[in-house]
Amino acid sequence: MTRVSATVLAVFLGIAACSTYQLFPAEVMDGVDPNFDFSQWRMIPNQALERKIQLGGSILHSERKDANVTIVVTQLPIVEHPAYGPKDMGKRSGEFAVTFMGQIEPPMLQRGNRLIVVGTTKAAKVVTVDDMPRSLPSVSAKCLHIWNTGGRDIADFPSYGAGYETLEEVTFCATAQ
Amino acid sequence: MNVFLSLFWCVLTAMLMWPGSGAAAEIGPNKPRASVFVAQKTDDASSQSQGAAPREYPLGGTSVEDLLLQKGTITMDEWIQIKAEQEYRVADQSRRIDTLEEWKNRTELLPILRDKVNFGLNALQFLYSHLDAQVPEGRSQDGFSIRRSEMLFWGKISETIPRWHILMEFQSINLTNNTPTSGASTPTSATFFRESYIDVRPIQSWAPNLNVIRMGIFRMPFGIFTETSGGLRDVISSPYLTSVGGGGGPPQNANGTGGQIEFIQERDYFVDVRGKIANRLEYAVGVMNNNNYQANALVSTTSGLSGANQPKAFYTRVRLFGNDVSFVSFTTLQGESNNAGTMINGRGKGRFDRYGIDARYTSKLFPGFMAQGEYWAGHDGANATTVGTAANGACQVISQCGGSGAPGVQRRTWYVLAKYLITDGMFENFEPTVMYEQFDPNTSMGNDLYTRTIVGLTYYFENFPPKVQSKIQINYEFRHHAGLGTGPNTPPYDSATDPFANNAFFVQFQVRFM
Repeated sequence: MTRVSATVLAVFLGIAACSTYQLFPAEVMDGVDPNFDFSQWRMIPNQALERKIQLGGSILHSERKDANVTIVVTQLPIVEHPAYGPKDMGKRSGEFAVTFMGQIEPPMLQRGNRLIVVGTTKAAKVVTVDDMPRSLPSVSAKCLHIWNTGGRDIADFPSYGAGYETLEEVTFCATAQ
Repeated sequence: MNVFLSLFWCVLTAMLMWPGSGAAAEIGPNKPRASVFVAQKTDDASSQSQGAAPREYPLGGTSVEDLLLQKGTITMDEWIQIKAEQEYRVADQSRRIDTLEEWKNRTELLPILRDKVNFGLNALQFLYSHLDAQVPEGRSQDGFSIRRSEMLFWGKISETIPRWHILMEFQSINLTNNTPTSGASTPTSATFFRESYIDVRPIQSWAPNLNVIRMGIFRMPFGIFTETSGGLRDVISSPYLTSVGGGGGPPQNANGTGGQIEFIQERDYFVDVRGKIANRLEYAVGVMNNNNYQANALVSTTSGLSGANQPKAFYTRVRLFGNDVSFVSFTTLQGESNNAGTMINGRGKGRFDRYGIDARYTSKLFPGFMAQGEYWAGHDGANATTVGTAANGACQVISQCGGSGAPGVQRRTWYVLAKYLITDGMFENFEPTVMYEQFDPNTSMGNDLYTRTIVGLTYYFENFPPKVQSKIQINYEFRHHAGLGTGPNTPPYDSATDPFANNAFFVQFQVRFM
């Protein structure tokens, strides 16, 4: 009996370990362009409008106004290992703006937090970062997933504070677009 | 011969420099020679009066000074002076940019800017304490002290070695006694570091399922409190599960109910494997010395001889997450312990085990509210001994084996803690906390229970855990200790002199930044 239980548990864990980590509901992910070229979009933002995309990055700046949040994000590649999510590879690839219709608590918007956004591309938007107006390609977010890492990589976080820390992560979906 | 050669080269150089041969020196297609204007050049035209016949103006843009010159507002000398200043400024700027570029290239290579070496202040804590117990001559009920003075150093070498970590506790310089087999204990140098470990991620594609192999000394994955950094704890005192008894209270006895007992050691030397499956099930499996954080001092660097029959304890912890920040965990420690050669208080010789369950609920419905608790039970071998007292074996005859003479005992402890961080209004950043705990040093005996209720209030000056946390904490502890057990072996007990039977008050100011 013990052997059977152990085998069932091992099989269950094996399946769980190999399963894909899904942040957003399937209907949100439906129609996302898997071959979206970020660098091209960044150079000519108005050429690829209304395309559904998924991007990862690190929060550079955020602004809350009424029921909207505008987030300036440094793009980072989304990796599977060592932990699923955006990972800093040490190379800067550019910034983009995310507009989100809904409320996000201030701690989740702190600089350096990692995020993944699913949404549609919009025309370039002028945002002010460090008192400098900048025109950035923008995404109107359908859903956002934010890891409250405060600048650390997701995989590095649990051991960051000379102890063990759980990493807060929250998914936000827009109320209306 | 050399004189002729030198003469030949001089003639050749002179010919090449002769203006007539300038065009020949130019390589590439012939181009019309544009008139190059050099700012420093003087122009005879400058001496001409203003409003004279139109003349040629420099090519390449219409700056203000060009327009002024064109309109005759400034003279050519003035124009040249302006241009010279501009050229000087440009040259100066480019020199400064070159210097900055050079320094940038140098500094970019610094390990501290590549995440390879970092340092931070883990916790600097200034403590005021007051204890209601009667104290011996020369000791005080009130005192100021530095609770922690810890610097942290860490870095990421590569993806394969994602972290090295050293935590220095600057008060770890006291000599600590270990437990000798006979005679008086010898002071042994304690380690200056409290933590020192290396993480190895052998195969990237296996992470996070098999995330890292960790080796060194660190907070053990035994429950919640043990793994929480001293700079992030919600109450000032350590919980009874890590340490209770001693400190001026009744000494060890044959019931196994007295003296200091470190039921779960906070740190140890270990190697383990850690990972997370499906972002929900976290695990750690490893083996440890079971000998406490000072045990490095017992190792002979020449022979390799070390203390207390190590390594000899196996542990595993699985933690199941309900969401990102709420979980329940199951932990077990299994192995042997020794009373001689160890640096952990209250350990006997023989079979050693611990079973623990812990849970934390961080509310999403009431942001700021958190509750957690742990329950631990386990067995300590016979003749459990306070560190520094001679002990040699499991027999319960003190004249023969030293130690406490206690039989093997089953111990049990638990606590619950709840806190609420106020996030707006007049009391923003205040956090009331309450904790209740029990420790039963011998479950087969009555009248030996330790209980404590802690009521606390914390005010955060800065609160961005785990990186930054500056705060002031005020704790009042309602302590009670029932006694030292029952039966003929029970020594007399005076609660007036037992610190764990008298209330205490603490105020602690903390700075943490990393």
